[in-house]
Amino acid sequence: MESFITELLTLLFAALRSATPVLAVVLGESMTQRSGVINLGVEGQMLLGAMTGFAVASITGDPWLGVLAACAAGIALSMVHAVLVLGCGANQIASGVAVLILGGGLSAYYGIPFVGDKIDTLGNLNHTFVSDIPLLGQFLGPITPTVLITLLAIPVISVFLFRTRTGLRWRSTGESLDITRNLGHNPAPYQLAAIAFGGLMSGFAGAALAVDYTANWVEGMTAGRGLVAVGLVIVARWNPWYALPAALLFGASEALNLKLQSWGVDISPYLLATLPYLIPLSVLILSYRGLRASGGGMPAGLKVVFQSAR
Amino acid sequence: MKKTIRTLLASSILAMSVQAAAETKVGFIYVGPKTDYGYNYAQDQGRLYLEEHMDDVETVYFENIPENADVQRVMERMVRSGVEVVFPTSYGYLDHALKVAEKYPEVHFAHSGGLKTSDNLMTYFAEIDQAMYLAGVAAGLTTKTNQLGFIAAHPIPQVLRNINAFTRGAQSVNPDVTTSVIWTSSWSDPTKEAEAAEALISDGADVLTGHVDSPINYVQVAERRGVYSVGYHADASQFAPKGWLVGAIWNWGPMMEGIVKSAKDGTWKSEHLRGDLLTGAAKLSDFGSAVSEESQQEVLDRQASIMNEEFQVWAGPIFSQDGTELVAEGDVMSLEETEKMDFLVKGVKGRLK
Repeated sequence: MESFITELLTLLFAALRSATPVLAVVLGESMTQRSGVINLGVEGQMLLGAMTGFAVASITGDPWLGVLAACAAGIALSMVHAVLVLGCGANQIASGVAVLILGGGLSAYYGIPFVGDKIDTLGNLNHTFVSDIPLLGQFLGPITPTVLITLLAIPVISVFLFRTRTGLRWRSTGESLDITRNLGHNPAPYQLAAIAFGGLMSGFAGAALAVDYTANWVEGMTAGRGLVAVGLVIVARWNPWYALPAALLFGASEALNLKLQSWGVDISPYLLATLPYLIPLSVLILSYRGLRASGGGMPAGLKVVFQSAR
Repeated sequence: MKKTIRTLLASSILAMSVQAAAETKVGFIYVGPKTDYGYNYAQDQGRLYLEEHMDDVETVYFENIPENADVQRVMERMVRSGVEVVFPTSYGYLDHALKVAEKYPEVHFAHSGGLKTSDNLMTYFAEIDQAMYLAGVAAGLTTKTNQLGFIAAHPIPQVLRNINAFTRGAQSVNPDVTTSVIWTSSWSDPTKEAEAAEALISDGADVLTGHVDSPINYVQVAERRGVYSVGYHADASQFAPKGWLVGAIWNWGPMMEGIVKSAKDGTWKSEHLRGDLLTGAAKLSDFGSAVSEESQQEVLDRQASIMNEEFQVWAGPIFSQDGTELVAEGDVMSLEETEKMDFLVKGVKGRLK
């Protein structure tokens, strides 16, 4: 029994590790979309964040500076989206794809001199009081700061969005630009802030990958996780609290894929590799069956984006 | 004014003379980034070796070229820009290279790892599984749990050779050893590789190795978790000062130099050129401090017996996972057979498909 619990906890914490970068992006992109802007470029922002964070950590020797630089890089690249979409009225889908490709290209090019560098990591909770907790200590100990920060962001974002006046205007911007204007508010600053916050979170997610988790920079290292996160925003219904189970679902399926192989379970590895996509997709389909009429919580302003993209 | 003209004239003559003394143009095509700290990195180190060691050679390269018709266009472009020797370095480039080679009979092609040739297309590779066998010996002598972990990208022959060679090497000194394989379905996905390493370690593996683009990810996780690691493609010892055992690494430079020279002086042969421990195209890295003196000596003795051909890695008996005898005692697998390997040996845990 105890070994069963141990295995289960191993899997849960593995899921949390895998889920963290995705969770950060889901939170940021949810906030962006809550203002009526969709940004498909988060993957590119993650990559630029990962590369910048790793490079700064390598040059300065301080991984925390790396994390800050990653956030700044994410914001900077998201401003390209802001200029195109808010400034020039460009199609949001096209602009997002442009940002995605730009981030991939910039990070690949400027990352070349840092490949194979060794950086210090952010450390973990080992040798703190939590690692002395019986049974749980061995799992809590290895937890790293980016996991904690990302988890902490959930209540903060949720309070901001649902309990403050600014949050209310943020949401109303996403529902209808006209109504927001009629109420005497200019929606532009909210949308700008929303895009920047998405940039911050995706840059941070890149740092979680490159500076914290793998301590390594590799071209294209996000491997599609940013795009998965954009999909998971729908599963999480644009709600920061639901973002956690949605991201954990992805993290758990990815951890399970690897764990089942390590256990030697007799299932084709090709089939197992589809788990991280199959499971969230199934949940999306199931959860949508009852929600079609309401749009599953989609901000009404986003409908315009999808119609104009057609 | 006069001076300017003279300078211009002089510099253009200089430019022409450089042109004249030169320059065999050699072109390289990589399937991934040359900075992957792995397979493509190793090939590119070969290119840099040419730049450094051959005065009359100029190199060009293209990265991230997929294994489809795109690579044909890249090769055509290279040839038209004057490239005389082309190195298509990825396995899946072979059929495309054959087509382009037929079209340009005066250009020489050297494909990495393939098993087909034509008049002006040869192949080169190195039996790095010899080095993986030796790394397995080091792993088998060092492990305490008798469980090894192998993080692998795709089940192609080159990867299977390494898994099997590593396992057989370990079993040769420690019959109880098993190797658990995790497939990541990607040549490069650092997060997945790190997580696969975590999974293997938490299930009891205390030596990790792999065959993905870069060894850095699993080597770092192994170090963090206090277990041993064996590198592949490139030396990653600096990432694991405590747990690094040894690595199997490439050294393409001298082999590529020979190929380019043969194209220049007309001794080119359309053949399957294969390097090994003896030629130095594949070799063991330096040992880490985690390998005891005796174990190091044992590995070096084995290396000597491979080099003087007393011992062959693919000599029978070889058993498949379910215990079926694939190669009888006294038989040895041919080069062709090993390069088409499609099985896992006894003691490997994991499914092929």
